[in-house]
Amino acid sequence: MKRASRLFLVQVLLVVLLGLLGVVGIGAESLQVAVHLQAAEVVPYWDPSDGASGEIALMNNLYETLLRYDPNTNEFVPLLATSYEQSEDAKTWTFSIRRGVKFHTGNLLDAQAVKASIERTLERDRGSAYIWYPVESIEVVDDYTVRFHLSQPAPLDLIAAAGYCAYIFDPAFSDHDWFIAGNDSGTGPYTVESSEGSEKVITKKFDDYWMGWEGNHFDRVAFQTIPEASTRRLMLEAGKADFCESLPPTDIEALMTHPNVSIEVNPSFQNLVVLYNNQRAPLDNALVRQALSYLIPYDDVVDVALGGYGRASRGVVPYGLWGYSDRVEQFSYSPTVAQALLAQAGYPNGGFKFLLTYPAGYEDIRKTVELWKASCAELDIELDARAMPTAERNAIARSPDPEKRQDIYLLYWWPDYANPDSFLSGMFYTQERPAYNLGYYSNPDFDALVDVATTLPSASSGAIAMMVELQNILQRDAAGIAVWDMEYLRARSASLRGYNDNAAYPNVVFWYDCYRE
Amino acid sequence: MLVRRSARLPGGAPLQREETSLFTYILRRLLVGLLSLVGASMVAFMLTRIVPSDPAAMWMGPHATPEQIERTQVELGLDQPIPVQYWRYISGLLRGDWGTSIVTKHAVLRDLATYLPASIELIIFGLLIGFSVGVPLGVLSAAKSDSALDHVARLVSITGVAVPSFWLAMLLQLTLSKGAGLFPLTGRVDLLMEITNPIHRITGFALLDSLFTGNFAALGNALWHIVLPAVTLAMYPLGLATRMVRTTMLEVLSEDYIRTARASGIRESRVLGKYALRNAIGPVLTIMALTFGYSLVSTFLIESLFAWPGLGRYAAKAIVSVDYPAIMGVTMLVAVTYIVLNLLVDLALAALDPRVRLS
Repeated sequence: MKRASRLFLVQVLLVVLLGLLGVVGIGAESLQVAVHLQAAEVVPYWDPSDGASGEIALMNNLYETLLRYDPNTNEFVPLLATSYEQSEDAKTWTFSIRRGVKFHTGNLLDAQAVKASIERTLERDRGSAYIWYPVESIEVVDDYTVRFHLSQPAPLDLIAAAGYCAYIFDPAFSDHDWFIAGNDSGTGPYTVESSEGSEKVITKKFDDYWMGWEGNHFDRVAFQTIPEASTRRLMLEAGKADFCESLPPTDIEALMTHPNVSIEVNPSFQNLVVLYNNQRAPLDNALVRQALSYLIPYDDVVDVALGGYGRASRGVVPYGLWGYSDRVEQFSYSPTVAQALLAQAGYPNGGFKFLLTYPAGYEDIRKTVELWKASCAELDIELDARAMPTAERNAIARSPDPEKRQDIYLLYWWPDYANPDSFLSGMFYTQERPAYNLGYYSNPDFDALVDVATTLPSASSGAIAMMVELQNILQRDAAGIAVWDMEYLRARSASLRGYNDNAAYPNVVFWYDCYRE
Repeated sequence: MLVRRSARLPGGAPLQREETSLFTYILRRLLVGLLSLVGASMVAFMLTRIVPSDPAAMWMGPHATPEQIERTQVELGLDQPIPVQYWRYISGLLRGDWGTSIVTKHAVLRDLATYLPASIELIIFGLLIGFSVGVPLGVLSAAKSDSALDHVARLVSITGVAVPSFWLAMLLQLTLSKGAGLFPLTGRVDLLMEITNPIHRITGFALLDSLFTGNFAALGNALWHIVLPAVTLAMYPLGLATRMVRTTMLEVLSEDYIRTARASGIRESRVLGKYALRNAIGPVLTIMALTFGYSLVSTFLIESLFAWPGLGRYAAKAIVSVDYPAIMGVTMLVAVTYIVLNLLVDLALAALDPRVRLS
């Protein structure tokens, strides 16, 4: 027994010694390391041509686009393009490419690389690659000038500044298998040092970054998936993380007073949209659609479903994105008006039952639906609300047989790039085979105006006026309505400086701009 | 199948069951195992197909067009009838192609090789803690039956089996990590350690790799990190082992030969350790193997909470995302593990316990 006890004691001492070694070893080098936490995968898509999801936070630090859009100033920041110009019909766009920019592979950026990058993205046609569909051909004018010829007018400056699928990479290092093995060939300030599956990526600063490393910057940035909200919160509180993209409102409230943590509340380009089935009675009657829209208790929904972190929508373009305007007409909660509209439509006693589908797993949407359902019940309108997986919902919504489709479809919408047209065209432009126009709205006048709007310079006064007009058409028709505009709740380390929330790049921290005080 | 040699018919005649040769026994068990694997693969394949999901849409991202989704369905073979899909999966499995994960976009086999070592390391550590505490506790509890120690041991064993692992994990994180700051909150090693003293992957086991490469700072850090998740994982096997050993020991301690050994003046520690425990350990060995399989599943929650980059977290994510190739891969791996472990335990029992024979 004595021998066993001694052995046990030796083992304990060994563990303690090694533990101390482990703790002491950490402080051996004074590196500035930032830790960015995500709830979902850090890199669902390693290939820069394929992105459409949570990889946006990492990729925008590894890769760069021709331009970056700042919605706060409504300006484009030149990145890999130093300047650009568009033709009057918005079908020809010419970009001057920055000289002396190196890829992480050591090769130099030129116009040919830009052309090859975009062509590869188009050819693969994955993720959000469809944003480039208007591009008919890409012409290399000279080593540092590239010209895009479009088949139809499109805001190519916004497309070139997109957070997904607009990255420029070294065409000499663009093998898909090479990318998914955890490599990158961008020009961004950071490059991959190591990765562990798709859940943890450690990046290091790229010494030859074209903006240089003067001033205060992080040496390394670690991107890590922490699925459990409680663990993310604990890491922030313990100072083990610098940024956390999402936490439940209850955790946010609790962290408001924590000395190590700062909470950022910023507008997002994401909203909750209700699409009415415009082709099926009685919802083919605009008066019925309007009546239903007057039955949504907007303010209560924002308070209850979003915990106050959001705002009632005004039109389908969310607050903060150009095209949002106080001049857009908006429904408000009014059962009296709703009742009058129903009477006018010939249904004074209601008596409808509508199949409403909404995405499963979203507590905020569920609460919204419950409040709306209760309000409708007072006018003898039953909402048969069903939370469903997206695949099942979409199978119903895209059924070739209109009789099998739902009456009301709820969805989150956000743009692939900072363009209000995504909300208008994506969900309301006539589609013979519905993709996301799942209210099956078809209005030739609306379509014609959308076509004109796309020729106007992005965020110009003319374009904004057109967006207002388009939204008012939708509101008058009650084709579909936005209920609330979400606000992003970010928790970050209180000592982090340089962070600037940019709704055009959701969840992205441009770590090059940040430092620790 | 294991048969105790002492099995006799009334009158004392031995039971008419031939003892099988080791080779035939293993071959037969492997064949049965193979059938079990086919069954498990069919059930898992059907279940992943019944659940409403659209892997092609997931593959292409949230705003994918119907055309993109259709093209991906063809690429992934999802446009084929289910039996054809199953046949393709099985034939791929035999060729070493376990499919590609919808979530990670990596070959499932590669993912399993990446994540499995972290889980094995955690499970072995957890089982070591569980059994090295549970078995002695069970022995002592039986030896000092109805004493205060016995009551404490029984309380510990019931708590170990009953406490939900996610609750214990959060409790340990809040008290020992956030509260006392004694242990790290998450991960396998500190991020800064990964940068300053990276562990060069040889086996994938962080403890072994850091030891082999003489990276003692990382070794210590990894040991420091494994404590809380391993203790969480250890609670169930600890409770189970304590209960099981106590019960079997109580039975064995009432046997005549134990009384004889005690009467002969043999030291109590020797009676317990050599004569009683050896005869009581059989069932414990069996549960050790089953607990290994069980632990693979309980890592789903524990690894998620401790951000442990292992197979459990991979599987949990795969289930939530209906990532059917990953779910299939994990299912097959767990099934193979159960089958092989059961076989090994039966062989070990036959070797350890002379009353047991292979049949």
